[in-house]
Amino acid sequence: MITTVGSHYRAGRSLFVLTVLGVALGVASVISIQIINRNAVAAFEGSMEAVSGDADFSVLGRSPSISEEIYPRLLAHPAVAAAWPLYRVTAALAGFEKLYVDVIGLDFFAPVEVPWRNGSADLTAALERPGWAAFTPALAADMGWSIGDSVRVFAGSKEVWLHVGALVDFQQISPLASPKMAVMDISQAQHLLGRSGRVQQFDVVLRGGADVEEARKEMQRQLGPGIQVVSPEQRSRQAEDLLSAFRLNLTALSLISLFVGMFLVYSSTQASLVRRRVEFGLLRSLGATRNQVFGLIAAEVAILGTLGVAVGIPLGYWGAKAHIDMVSAALTNLYLLDEISSLQLPVLLFVVAALVGLGGALVGALIPALDVSRRDTRALMTAFTLHEKIGSLANRLVIAGVVVLLGSAAWYLIAGREWQHAGFLLGFNLLITIPLITPWVIRNVTARFRVRGFGPGFSLRNLGARLQISSFAVSALGIAVSMLVGITILVGSFRDTLEVWITNTVQADVYLSPASWRGRGEEAFLDSALVTSLGQQPGIQALDRLRGFIAYTAGDHRITLAGIDMGLPGGQARFKLLQGDAKKVHTLVNEQSGVLVGETLARKQDLWAGDEVSIFTEKGLHSFPIAGVYYDYNAQGGAVFMDLTTMEAYWGKSDVNSVAIYLDPGLDPDTVIDRLRADLPLETLEMRSNHRLRQEAMEIFDQTFAITRLLQLIGLLIAVCGIALMLLVLGREQLPELALYRSIGASSRQIFGLFVGKGLGMGVMGLIIGAIGGIVLAMVLIFVINRAYFGWTIQVHWPLSELTEQALTILGAAVIASIYPAHKASRTSAAELRREDL
Amino acid sequence: MATRGFPISYIDRSFPKETETQMPPTDRIPEAPILAFDKVSMTYQTTASGNRQALVDVTFAAPSSRKIAVVGRSGSGKSTLLHLAAGIDIPTTGRVSIDGRDLGKMGERERTLLRRDRIGLIFQFFHLLPHLSVRENVVVPAFISGDPSKEADIRAVELLDQVGLADRLPDPVQKLSGGEMQRVAICRALLRRPRLLLADEPTGNLDDANGQMVMDLLFSLVATEQTTLLFVTHSQEFAALADEVWQLHSGVLEK
Repeated sequence: MITTVGSHYRAGRSLFVLTVLGVALGVASVISIQIINRNAVAAFEGSMEAVSGDADFSVLGRSPSISEEIYPRLLAHPAVAAAWPLYRVTAALAGFEKLYVDVIGLDFFAPVEVPWRNGSADLTAALERPGWAAFTPALAADMGWSIGDSVRVFAGSKEVWLHVGALVDFQQISPLASPKMAVMDISQAQHLLGRSGRVQQFDVVLRGGADVEEARKEMQRQLGPGIQVVSPEQRSRQAEDLLSAFRLNLTALSLISLFVGMFLVYSSTQASLVRRRVEFGLLRSLGATRNQVFGLIAAEVAILGTLGVAVGIPLGYWGAKAHIDMVSAALTNLYLLDEISSLQLPVLLFVVAALVGLGGALVGALIPALDVSRRDTRALMTAFTLHEKIGSLANRLVIAGVVVLLGSAAWYLIAGREWQHAGFLLGFNLLITIPLITPWVIRNVTARFRVRGFGPGFSLRNLGARLQISSFAVSALGIAVSMLVGITILVGSFRDTLEVWITNTVQADVYLSPASWRGRGEEAFLDSALVTSLGQQPGIQALDRLRGFIAYTAGDHRITLAGIDMGLPGGQARFKLLQGDAKKVHTLVNEQSGVLVGETLARKQDLWAGDEVSIFTEKGLHSFPIAGVYYDYNAQGGAVFMDLTTMEAYWGKSDVNSVAIYLDPGLDPDTVIDRLRADLPLETLEMRSNHRLRQEAMEIFDQTFAITRLLQLIGLLIAVCGIALMLLVLGREQLPELALYRSIGASSRQIFGLFVGKGLGMGVMGLIIGAIGGIVLAMVLIFVINRAYFGWTIQVHWPLSELTEQALTILGAAVIASIYPAHKASRTSAAELRREDL
Repeated sequence: MATRGFPISYIDRSFPKETETQMPPTDRIPEAPILAFDKVSMTYQTTASGNRQALVDVTFAAPSSRKIAVVGRSGSGKSTLLHLAAGIDIPTTGRVSIDGRDLGKMGERERTLLRRDRIGLIFQFFHLLPHLSVRENVVVPAFISGDPSKEADIRAVELLDQVGLADRLPDPVQKLSGGEMQRVAICRALLRRPRLLLADEPTGNLDDANGQMVMDLLFSLVATEQTTLLFVTHSQEFAALADEVWQLHSGVLEK
């Protein structure tokens, strides 16, 4: 068998390479996304394990932090052997942009195994020396720090010097732990970097023999619903749930690349079979059964698939590694999770790769293998025999396609709306429809071209006569283009919608927040005295303060909760209302503790104006009347806005996290920023003009969709390879026909032109079918999938210039993909007609 | 559309126009051979160690407007002879000339142009293009020569009329019978008024009745068109209808 594949390679190197490439790109696409998906959660798990590795469970708040007062209650529990508090605060490294350290305040006397480098640390110094902290060796090496150095950090509006007292290697405990971690004494961390009396978490170790689940449940009962008592597995699951939509979308996109790759395998198998049909005919005439012929083909494809898998795995790993920063940025920006610092390749992924590659290759090869094995011996040994079948099936296939499409639409409208994953089924069915209608479209479009010479019309008519090959090339391209167009319209529409929304809602002139707020910075507060003095600066008309943190609704739904100065004159404009009357909203929010709910949360939890939303507060679960629903583009499950006084009443007094500044009319924001920086101690803070903030928001948006665009490109690359492959197949299969042209007097140049014309023809048809499919897919993405997973309202915009650019690129790629096959075909000699044909 | 039995003398003789031919003009002497082989041998390298001699010292001159049948067993070199005559292959030794021009001295492109303008080919398996209609199949040589003019179209219709297929012009070729397909192939070969018509077993894939009809039409048309016909056949009956019958035995030509 290996010898057979070897001869396959020698007989058609380009076909062999394209086949393996098709499988490899499909596998790489799926594997890279699976690696990224797996490691996104693993990064969270790694850091969690490094900090709470030995704990049986953790006690967390359902509000931003919990009081230390529950500590004695935990220790008093008979099953508890030990418990210790953790205080986590994000510190921004001074002098670096967007470089944060997750500082963990620990009780060094708790029975926590800290993985000190060199075995131990001077705990007396850790307690006594102000700012003593232990950093990871990786971070210290990156930054060039040594023990004894001082490091300046910003936490909230505080500027703090930390002393590098020791090195702590969390990656000893968990290789995937973030290197940007540091530990210090908990009281120092609270006092220097955050606030005293509050912690985020207690870790609990039970006595030997205690039933962990039983103890967890009992403790949950004792501590009440405002506190979560969760096992490490539950915390991982929470992170997985948080990322589920993000991961599902990436997986779906990568599977489309695999789907397109299967078309490539189909055509390469077809190519191989075309070349060797006489061989199979001979085998059949010598007594080989249909099953034996089928088995031979399947085994051969399996070997090619294995080669594709072998190439695809390293390619996928490389792809994941190359784009780790891109995805990491999306994770931290959108979900406030740990960034991915290193990649793990679990054995399971090799199994997935093998299944995907081999399975895809075998499914792709199934139709041609069955076709050839079922063909009678005489047909196999005669030239000009393949290709008629699909032509006669075209009508039935198009009917099947229409039935699938209309059936899916009807199912969705009648019964599918309630099912969250319905959109994916609709999208999949839409993509399935493309190969079903393509033969009919090609046949009918090409038949309308009148042949007036040996030019484009002739190429197209020729293409229409070779439906079995051209349909697959055009289908593969159509699917890839659908994906490209669909996502381009989605992203373009989303971008425009967001831009309009930001323009409408981001109206303050200057935005000020602690540098550390951009990390997981719930504890990044602005000093109240600083805020007061800001308000007294000349040129500042009003301050709009914001306090925000992660909270939980009654259904344990994670939300972003924000308190702002709702009563600010003209402040209503900050919200573009989807539901609710602006005046009533104003009254309800300011006078009756009402809240505004973001569209995402409203749609997911079915919470609308007039309803109440129950949120865990410091005082327990409380129901807030919903004054209105505003357009919201939050990725974390939704947001709720309330007045700061309401927030203070239920979550206690606290400093705020950021401030929006309204300037006197006519003042230039950048000039004011420069003046404020000169007059006030604002080094620890980031100040951005309205314009800059909008720009940054759009940069984050673009960064989030960068991986999506990469997947689109892989799909397109596979499809373009498909065109090259199909033309090579055509060149091989049409050898007698080309020889005929040559014998009638066609020059090499004419044959070359004929093939480039075919490539272009396939490109145009794939583009048209794909564009139509893409528009429908975009509607499914915007109105079904987006609504089900994110709940955003996206206005449809047509990014025409981008689409035009893409169309020209695809056509250019189709022409480029045609050049090699055209060159090969143009070298066909009239003598090729010699043996069996002339 | 032309009617069946349209008089041959009415055919527009201007296609292809002599001035449009892409070959340099040659001096035409009516009796001069249109095709000449001079001590032509052809050897194929079949394996790394051995060669097969397909033609051995073949010499002949085929005068204009003659019908010549070449007969011989399988493997006697008939197809090789046709390939060399069509300029598809170049002999190992010797000289093949058409209208006095040595094919061996021409490049591949020149030979292609010569074939386009001076030679018509008819195949045993017809080799019609399934994606084109009957009429379009006949016009293909004009497409290729870059002259898909109205004249070419008229000429195609007239030729199809002469072979009795005037009512099948728009039909797809798959709907035709074997005999009809070969008639279309003959029309295609004659479209550009070739000086030399090469046919390899033109009846080899047809039953007796259709074979007879095709040969009758072929002879009639070449007579009208004043074309030289060199055809390979296994049929002694059809060979006997030719002006000359040549025998090929293991690559050696016997007249």
